[in-house]
Amino acid sequence: MKIENTKAQMRKGVLEYCILSILKSGEAYPSEIIDKLKEAKLIVVEGTLYPLLTRLKNAGILTYRWEESKSGPPRKYYQLTKIGEEFLKELETTWNELVKAVKLTSK
Amino acid sequence: MNQTVTINISGIVFHIELDAYEDLKNYLNKIKSYFKNSEECEDIMSDIEARIAELFSEKMSDLNQVILRKDVDEVITIMGKPEQYIDEDSEEQHEAPRAEKRTNSTEKKFFRNPDERVLGGVASGIASYFGFDTIWARLFFVLTTLFVGFGPLLYIILWIVIPEAKTASDRLQMKGDPINIDNIGKTVQDEAGKVNEKLKNVNGSKIGHILERIFNGIIAVIKTIFKAAGKLIGAICLLFGLLFAVWFIMGLVDDSVIFSYTSEGITGIESSELFELMFATADQFYLFLICLIVVIVIPIIGLMFAGVKLLFGVKGNGAITISLSILWFIGLFAAITLGLKTASDQKSSQKEISSTYLSSTTDVIYLKASEKTIPGEVMLELDDFSLALDEKYLYSNEIELTIKESQTDSVEMIIETRSNGKNRKKALENVRSINYDFEVADSLIKFDEFLTTPRAQRMRNQSIRITLKLPLGKAVYLDESLNGLIYDIDNVTDTWDRKMIGEKWVMLPNGLTCLDCSEIDGIKTEDITAKIEKEKDELESAENE
Repeated sequence: MKIENTKAQMRKGVLEYCILSILKSGEAYPSEIIDKLKEAKLIVVEGTLYPLLTRLKNAGILTYRWEESKSGPPRKYYQLTKIGEEFLKELETTWNELVKAVKLTSK
Repeated sequence: MNQTVTINISGIVFHIELDAYEDLKNYLNKIKSYFKNSEECEDIMSDIEARIAELFSEKMSDLNQVILRKDVDEVITIMGKPEQYIDEDSEEQHEAPRAEKRTNSTEKKFFRNPDERVLGGVASGIASYFGFDTIWARLFFVLTTLFVGFGPLLYIILWIVIPEAKTASDRLQMKGDPINIDNIGKTVQDEAGKVNEKLKNVNGSKIGHILERIFNGIIAVIKTIFKAAGKLIGAICLLFGLLFAVWFIMGLVDDSVIFSYTSEGITGIESSELFELMFATADQFYLFLICLIVVIVIPIIGLMFAGVKLLFGVKGNGAITISLSILWFIGLFAAITLGLKTASDQKSSQKEISSTYLSSTTDVIYLKASEKTIPGEVMLELDDFSLALDEKYLYSNEIELTIKESQTDSVEMIIETRSNGKNRKKALENVRSINYDFEVADSLIKFDEFLTTPRAQRMRNQSIRITLKLPLGKAVYLDESLNGLIYDIDNVTDTWDRKMIGEKWVMLPNGLTCLDCSEIDGIKTEDITAKIEKEKDELESAENE
């Protein structure tokens, strides 16, 4: 068993939760999300985000709209759908439970 | 001076140096091949391209209008290589257990199985190796022994050649993984993985990925072909199974499983009554019939079941398969035993001879068949052989009449009664129970065309052979009605039995000669008479000398 695998597994689960949390406060386009995730040191490379966003969108959790950009190509602004909001709520509960569990067990 | 190319990323035009362009192209292709199998590939690619365009536009200014190699490197560092994407779980997760499995998995080897053996455990070893039930391997040996004969030899050779599984690891190797398409696929994939790893070390992962995908594609195609072939075979099995079942049920209905032709065509029930008489008892016959049905029906069921299994992927019930196989063997064994027993009932063949002297004064004896027809119900009529039954008796026309020269001066009729039986005693008992009638009225003899035997005596090839011994100079008239009775009567003209009827035949020293016919079978009677006279003279002159 490699430590990298376990780490990646943990980060992956948290990553989805964090992306949805970022979008909870309002719509955002990938660069904004990336900035926040980088700030939080959750991701190293930007490429990670795109497949995730696409999958979340295809799962009906996210939706997007196009917006023209002055400096570059048009941007995709992502936001949570109704399902996404439900999804996030459940993740929040689970997260809190996990935090409690980790606290309890690591004491 | 460097050459630049113009590219369009997400609708924005960039000037890029040629080598930088090559790097960028390779990078994008790598990502593309990485996501190739997922549905989201295009979405992901367009998003990533959009981001790359964004990053490039940030770098561009009035002074800096061309994308250089270092810009591409920077972008790649920011975006990361696909292997670094933590979302793509397939790589890390699959690689690890696969490597683990490879070291653990044991190569399968041929061993004799000492735990499940009848003789040397060869059959169960083979079954373990190929991953099917032991019963089939045993069946193979039994069938090759029964029908082809090389079974025992093959078994002995394998017994010598294949080592016995002695240790626990031997036993593990003996069993291994069952060989099926999935496992073959797995093995090939493992191999592809190994090749892929090597290539990765040499040439980056791109070629490796492509190769792996090609391998996966080939495996998928092979699997599909095998599955389709399996379905086809399944459908064929099912179809044949159904056909056989229909044939068999129809056979049961009109009993043509044990068919026989009578003058009215196929009569099932009656013919089974006849077959019954071949067995020692009626119970044995019905037992044989049940065995026969079992032996026929079980393979039909098996065939249909195999069809269903292949077509719909239903799992077989091992217990049912084994019990049906055992039942089939019991049925086969019992049927063979009963068959052999029935055959052994015919083992001994006995005959009794009775002789009657006829005091006939006339020169010509008239031979006729009696007017009596065969009693009972005709069960079987084949060419010149018929069998009839009533409640008590069995009637058969196994009667032969022949004519030979008598050594004495009187007409003698010899009746030879024959029958088979389990042993001499039983056969003789059968012989004595045969009843046969003929009438003698002066110069007229009327023969019955059938013999009678009690049903209790069963069908044991009862027959009658009548030999009429005719002194020299006496003649017989063969009536037309004798057609079915006379058999192989020697005569000077070698005339066929059926042509002899309706004529008078005289016994001369050379044999029976046609009396009235001036010509028979192209030979003139005068010539024969002349020939006989000549021979007589020669004989006399020889004696005189």
